[in-house]
Amino acid sequence: MAEIKQEAISQKKLEYIRRERTKEMRQQMVSFALMIFLTFVAFGLVAMDLDASFVIPIVIGMAFLQVILQFYYFMHMKDKGHEYIKLMMLTGMFFAIAFVTTFIYIVWIGAPIE
Amino acid sequence: MASATTKRSVGSVIWDYMTTVDHKKIAILYLIAGGFFFALGGIEAMLIRIQLAVPNSDFLSAGLFNEVITMHGTTMIFLAAMPLLFAFMNATVPLQIGARDVAFPFLNSLGVWLFIFGGIFLNLSWFMGGAPDAGWTSYASLSINSPGHGIDFYAVGLQIAGAGTLISGINFVTTIISMRAPGMTYMRMPLMTWTTLVASVLIVFAFPPLTVGIFLLTFDRMFGSSFFLVETGGNTIIWEHLFWIFGHPEVYILILPAFGIFSEIFATFARKRLFGYSAMVFATVLIGFFGFMVWAHHMFTVGLGPTANAIFAVATMAIAVPTGIKIFNWIFTIWGGSIEFTTPMLYALAFIPSFVMGGVTGIMQAAAPADYQYHDSYFIVAHFHYVIVGGVVFALLAGLHYYWPLMFSTMLSEKLGKITFVLFVAGFHVTFLIQHFLGLWGMPRRVFTYLDGQGYNTANLISTVGAIMMAVAVIILLINIIITVAKNEKVGRDPWGDGRTLEWSLPLPVPHYNFAQTPLIRGLDAYWIEKKENGGKMMPAESLEDFHMPNGSIIPFILSFGLFVAGFGALHFASGKDWAIDAVADLPNHPWALPVLIAGLAIVFISMGVRSWKDDLGHYVKKEEVLKDLEEQERGAK
Ligand code: HEM
Ligand SMILES: [Cu+2]
Repeated sequence: MAEIKQEAISQKKLEYIRRERTKEMRQQMVSFALMIFLTFVAFGLVAMDLDASFVIPIVIGMAFLQVILQFYYFMHMKDKGHEYIKLMMLTGMFFAIAFVTTFIYIVWIGAPIE
Repeated sequence: MASATTKRSVGSVIWDYMTTVDHKKIAILYLIAGGFFFALGGIEAMLIRIQLAVPNSDFLSAGLFNEVITMHGTTMIFLAAMPLLFAFMNATVPLQIGARDVAFPFLNSLGVWLFIFGGIFLNLSWFMGGAPDAGWTSYASLSINSPGHGIDFYAVGLQIAGAGTLISGINFVTTIISMRAPGMTYMRMPLMTWTTLVASVLIVFAFPPLTVGIFLLTFDRMFGSSFFLVETGGNTIIWEHLFWIFGHPEVYILILPAFGIFSEIFATFARKRLFGYSAMVFATVLIGFFGFMVWAHHMFTVGLGPTANAIFAVATMAIAVPTGIKIFNWIFTIWGGSIEFTTPMLYALAFIPSFVMGGVTGIMQAAAPADYQYHDSYFIVAHFHYVIVGGVVFALLAGLHYYWPLMFSTMLSEKLGKITFVLFVAGFHVTFLIQHFLGLWGMPRRVFTYLDGQGYNTANLISTVGAIMMAVAVIILLINIIITVAKNEKVGRDPWGDGRTLEWSLPLPVPHYNFAQTPLIRGLDAYWIEKKENGGKMMPAESLEDFHMPNGSIIPFILSFGLFVAGFGALHFASGKDWAIDAVADLPNHPWALPVLIAGLAIVFISMGVRSWKDDLGHYVKKEEVLKDLEEQERGAK
């Protein structure tokens, strides 16, 4: 068993890291609050018994916003060095959307264009 | 420690392999286990061909025939072809990119043990009430109604093995992206590494749909849900979509590493740089991407409607374009090269026409209206054996000869290798060429016999003769392996003499830490460049220092065993329960099922807990040890 070798970091660097982390934390809190808020709005809209054709697009829109916030702020997609992850995520989403669309089209609706 | 050269007891060797996290030993585990399942699948294939050799045969009963074809397909795809490819990926990729191990050595070991336990689980069905019998595609309309536990073995066994594959896929993506040596840019990666990367990405995207599909099937059969039960509002077509969303990418997961192996072999034995390297890379990525957009070509006859069929037909035909690019690049690679006809090269040369034939029948099937004729006939069987045997299995055999010295530091006999080659390739064409015609004459696939007087007799007999030739070829290969292992004549660095890529720059046997110093990569075909310019010595990218290596662990083995145990609990859970589906409702009730399920999962979670809470920081390989090894290599070289 061995200890992982670590190098000491300079005072300047330490301060820099601290500053970055505070900034990061603030962003996380803001996006977290925003997401809670969006969730409440979504629940509220549903609870108010408004017209479904009005509520559904809004809820889906807010869900989309939440996904972006999640990926970019909580899962660090906005940070440097995440290009691959971004690429893979986007490819995955593209596939997922394609699959769901064909499922709806083929299995559920079933060849609407005759 | 692996550097100890003293003779060790059998027990300690076995323990070493059970706990190893070294990618080179994991490669050997994959090779042995995959080879075992390949033999098993081969025996099943022989049973099928014996049954079909003559009309009205009762060598196998109809029910047993269904079990044998199902297990043949499932075993060959999931337990033979994929693990054998993983064997070569593990053996070569870290060495090709200049890494000391994969990114997650622990997960690498977990992957191989999950596969082995999943495979054993699936095959235990033979002794525990009957194997699955709904085909390797296990369409829900058949599998939900299959009585007994056969399908449950399929579902749970593939779930366990599939988890292993997914884990290994993630591991290779991470390894290739993050562990490359200095100078190893993406466009300098050997094609084997590139195809492994793309195949691993395909695994990451394609296995989750399979996992989901199998989970739904598992819950329908074992826990009383009704995703596929039409009576209670389910829909069996959903299974078909989920399976083929996985299934088509899966065939590319198989063929891409095979392309990689062949690309290496062509360049090595034509003694030329691979023609059109960047086009090759581009084609690989494109095939990977397109591979996800074509799954419904397996479902043309389901009744998706003309629009859907047309879209998927066109998408399918598009895949032929990047595949064609590759074929031409290989031909241009050997064009004008100084070709050396080694056994791997022979397989590579035989691969081109064989695979092209499979591709052409693929395009024929891609024309949706025509596919109404071909579908579920022997034509399909001929198509996929041309691509899978003529592509993947040829690559595995070629890779076995080509990479054998890298894995075992001995050479397989070229003479026996060539005999195997001739018999196997001839046997392959004799078996499967005639099946195209059988299909066109109307012989359906997956039917256990045929009547006399339909004109199928001679063709089927020819096909069986070809299968026997392939079996003999495999037996000669086995003899070759046994002789080589018994003789144990060691070879040294660059045994083929024409190695181009980084893995051949290493001394044989490869030290457990791979590289004494991480090498500096100065271009494509890194070793070749140094041979031309630097007397064949890689330039180091770092000074000789202590470096960090992971420790072995028994946890992956125990964790996989836990899932294996849990599998038996899940399997018997619904037996004899009144809410169960008809297929298992009449079986005797097993009160022990739930405790076994819980005990198995407990083993899994405890293993995870131990791994999470007990720090294992690995160890350092000391500079002195490396220096000693280097000195020994110097002396050995003189
Ligand atoms: C040029 C490329 C290819 C095309 C256009 C193509 C097209 C097709 C089509 C349309 C089918 C469905 C036929 C039917 O069931 O009616 C099919 C089946 C199949 N193909 Fe291909 N294919 C290609 C390459 C491959 C490759 C490279 C592999 C494997 C390495 C492969 C493996 C299979 C398998 C296993 C099946 C049968 C699955 C089953 O029903 O059990 N194909 N192919
Ligand atoms: Cu396909």
